[in-house]
Amino acid sequence: MNFSKSSLLSLFALIPLLFTFFPADTKGGEKIFQYPINVGVLKNGLKVVSVEFDSPGLIAFYTIVRTGSRNEIEPGKSGFAHFFEHMMFRGTEKYSSTGYNDILKGLGADHNAFTNDDITAYHSLSSSDALEAIMDIESDRFLNLKYDEEDFKKEAGAVLGEYRKSITSPFLPLIEKLRDTAYQTHTYKHTTIGFLKDIEDMPNQYEHSLYFFDTYYRPENCVILVVGDVNHESLMALAEKYYGNWESGPGQPEIPQEAPQTEEKREKLGWDNPTLPIMAIGYHGPAFSDREIDMPALDLLSQVVFSRSSPLYRKLVIDEQLVDFIQGGAGDKRDATMFMIFTRVKETANVEMVEQEIYKALEDVKNVLVDEERLASIKSHMKYQFAMGLNSPKSVAGTLAHYIGLTGDPETVNRVYELYDRVTAEDIQMVTKKYFTNENKTVVNLSYDGGE
Amino acid sequence: MKGQRLVLTLISLLLIAGCAGSKTKVVDKKGMNLKVTEIPSAHSPLIAFRILFKSGTINEPKGKEGIASITASVMAQGGTGEMSYNDVVQALYPMAANIGQQINKEVTVFTGNVHADHLEEFYDIFSNLILNPRWDESDFKRIVDEHSNQIKNSLRSNDDENLGKAALNLFMYEGHPYSGIGAGTVKSLAALTIEDLKAFAAANYTQDNLVIGIAGGYPDGFSDRMRADFSVLAKDAPAVVELPEPKPINGIEVMIVKKDNDGAAISIGAPIDVTRSDKDFYALMVANSYLGEHRTFNGALMRHMREDRGLNYGDYAYIENFIQDGGSTFPVPNVPRRQQFFSIWIRPVSHANALFSLKQAIRELDMLVTDGISEEDFETTRKYLLNYSKLWVQTASRRLGYLMDSDWYGTGYFIDKIAEELPKLTREDVNAAIKKYLQAENLKVAIITEEAEKVRDMLLSGEKTPIVYQAGSVSQELLDEDKLIESYDLNINEEALKIVDAGELFEG
Repeated sequence: MNFSKSSLLSLFALIPLLFTFFPADTKGGEKIFQYPINVGVLKNGLKVVSVEFDSPGLIAFYTIVRTGSRNEIEPGKSGFAHFFEHMMFRGTEKYSSTGYNDILKGLGADHNAFTNDDITAYHSLSSSDALEAIMDIESDRFLNLKYDEEDFKKEAGAVLGEYRKSITSPFLPLIEKLRDTAYQTHTYKHTTIGFLKDIEDMPNQYEHSLYFFDTYYRPENCVILVVGDVNHESLMALAEKYYGNWESGPGQPEIPQEAPQTEEKREKLGWDNPTLPIMAIGYHGPAFSDREIDMPALDLLSQVVFSRSSPLYRKLVIDEQLVDFIQGGAGDKRDATMFMIFTRVKETANVEMVEQEIYKALEDVKNVLVDEERLASIKSHMKYQFAMGLNSPKSVAGTLAHYIGLTGDPETVNRVYELYDRVTAEDIQMVTKKYFTNENKTVVNLSYDGGE
Repeated sequence: MKGQRLVLTLISLLLIAGCAGSKTKVVDKKGMNLKVTEIPSAHSPLIAFRILFKSGTINEPKGKEGIASITASVMAQGGTGEMSYNDVVQALYPMAANIGQQINKEVTVFTGNVHADHLEEFYDIFSNLILNPRWDESDFKRIVDEHSNQIKNSLRSNDDENLGKAALNLFMYEGHPYSGIGAGTVKSLAALTIEDLKAFAAANYTQDNLVIGIAGGYPDGFSDRMRADFSVLAKDAPAVVELPEPKPINGIEVMIVKKDNDGAAISIGAPIDVTRSDKDFYALMVANSYLGEHRTFNGALMRHMREDRGLNYGDYAYIENFIQDGGSTFPVPNVPRRQQFFSIWIRPVSHANALFSLKQAIRELDMLVTDGISEEDFETTRKYLLNYSKLWVQTASRRLGYLMDSDWYGTGYFIDKIAEELPKLTREDVNAAIKKYLQAENLKVAIITEEAEKVRDMLLSGEKTPIVYQAGSVSQELLDEDKLIESYDLNINEEALKIVDAGELFEG
């Protein structure tokens, strides 16, 4: 983010977020997302989506750029999408960075941005009267961003500061190591904030920032989303006024795809400060799809094996108290992603035993079908979790932005929901056998080494 | 801006409408003299509970630090008389309902959120966790382990920003009931027993100490039912814990906390004699927002330290205890205090720039105290807060929490109070409040750094501490100001200056 603006979602927060947007089952063909979704497209390819939500006088405004750290294909450029998100707050000729902030301050808006593997999103919450003012300043920076090299180098310092604050937690190096080990060619090899050596080199990458803006900040790669007290017809007129002159881009380079992993990988990581041992296990999995059953089945599997209601959680956390937390799941990603399992073990001597318990729980699913009652309970959990999350225009917009980022199509939320409803015990067993194999696995163990 | 009044009105309608039907009642019936704060919203499918007891860490007996948090956690994350913790987990799971606990200095809150489809089943569990807790030894062990590991393996070692805040609190409130952290100390946790917890709960979770909070789509009469159910609690509240004045601060008093890290985390603070109950609080809100509104670029600290110089990720200021609510930019409700403090949070900076950053932050405060706020900044900041504060209460649970806090402070609904007080303010009111409550001479500072001895020696020597830029050219205007900052006199209290090993903090 860039403001605090920069908001890379905190790494620890990313883990629970894997479970945030699980849709649930439908009844009688009802859509999970029950608010009408309006979609329009400008001639330049910019998609404009609106949802009328019962929040008189209030709107959430998102600009979703379907580019994230996934697009950092050039060597030495890890973390650049996130860095560029910071630069988007550095102003234009019409509105300086101070002028931009002063307008939002005058509106009393809550505004921020974040970057992840697949998208960069700029968002605000404000009065609906402010819609045109927001579209004016937002379109201006997307069409006319301008900053000098001095500002560029200063902002690199803020990004380094963001890394500095995050690296006090062992979860950042753990995830860095897991990805770096598991992937060979795909850009999911690095985290969104990037490798430290690349962050330290960012002040020297001014020219690349011009290329990056020219390539990815284009109308056909972006979606405007407004949720709340909004009229779609008026929104489209404003979109034409403020974004109509935005020129389409030259196209984007291909992302190198990952070859299948052929053997188990293991790494150890030492940590300077006292910590309980933390284990990360990753299995390569599928890309997100709103047509194929694999990812939805894996999402249910994560509930079967790793949710608080699972036998494994009961054994390791509640009864035997060998670990202080355990979680596992696969985040929705545009390209083939990993199902990641994290646990923190209370005694070093038990690390291996805990690892074996995890494998045993996965083997159980391969051997015995999940019973129907349990499946129904999981689908109920997912349904109510989804429903309880839609309690404000901001949360509704956040949910839709997630799916728009993945496919560009807001209706994806409903299609995924339909897939969840169709997942069977056999599907769960099938994906467990397919993805949870030794040759597809990477394990990283982090432990306190006293700075050795 | 044209249309501004309409903006305010519309947001007010939306966000305050939820409180229009709210009420706080004290019903004098035999055995049912319980206080209820409620915000009914018949059409909402969600229901939020906040069961607040006016006891917190200040009510902990000496030597039993951490008992407030352990007791509430064993109750909320444990079982009932009839159900084990695992039974509770299994029952709540299909509902996706959640139960939590929040322990602070003066209050403890049990929170619950559920979809209306499951109200009856959920409430039966939620109320029994509080009224008929299981006190299971296994749950007790799990919770104590969590707290102990939180101190030993997270706070002291892998969470420098929160360690800085905890160290500042410890340093600022030495010998005061506000000192210490919710998790207690490693030694006090090891000495606690289940019987201690039962005694703490019996003494503090009482009818006279209770406010029942409920919001959302619950049926008519539900709050009366809750009142009847919670009347099984013991009657009398514990004696009010008297709060002494915090010890005066003499000069810039620095505690350096030594641990391995890649940058210095810095927190600065001083107690202030003002809370939301005071008229001056609202003038001070404007000044503080101008100096360092949380996670925005509005504040002078953020603009001058991060935006102009790229020193770090963020720099903010506060006039009351501020705990961020999840990933939002807003504070959690239900952490009221009778005494508050002013603070500045400097997010980790490079070791080379630690003392430059400290000097710049205190100098910014100094300039605010000396020069005050300009008419333009006063107007824009006031307008901002009038609109922005409306966004703090978007969900039923947050509205409920704010309403309960408003009762605690005796202000009337806080968001309305802001809307009422800010328009009456003048620039002179704000500058007078700055002069009355803020100062840059007597402050406590906590610095988390692996370069403890070097930082101590530099502070004692009074040497210049120039900024080290990562790269790039810098304007002459900034370079000129940098000269003033690097030589800024901190008036260090040499006797108070100390180095503490992180591993010694919160040990016992």
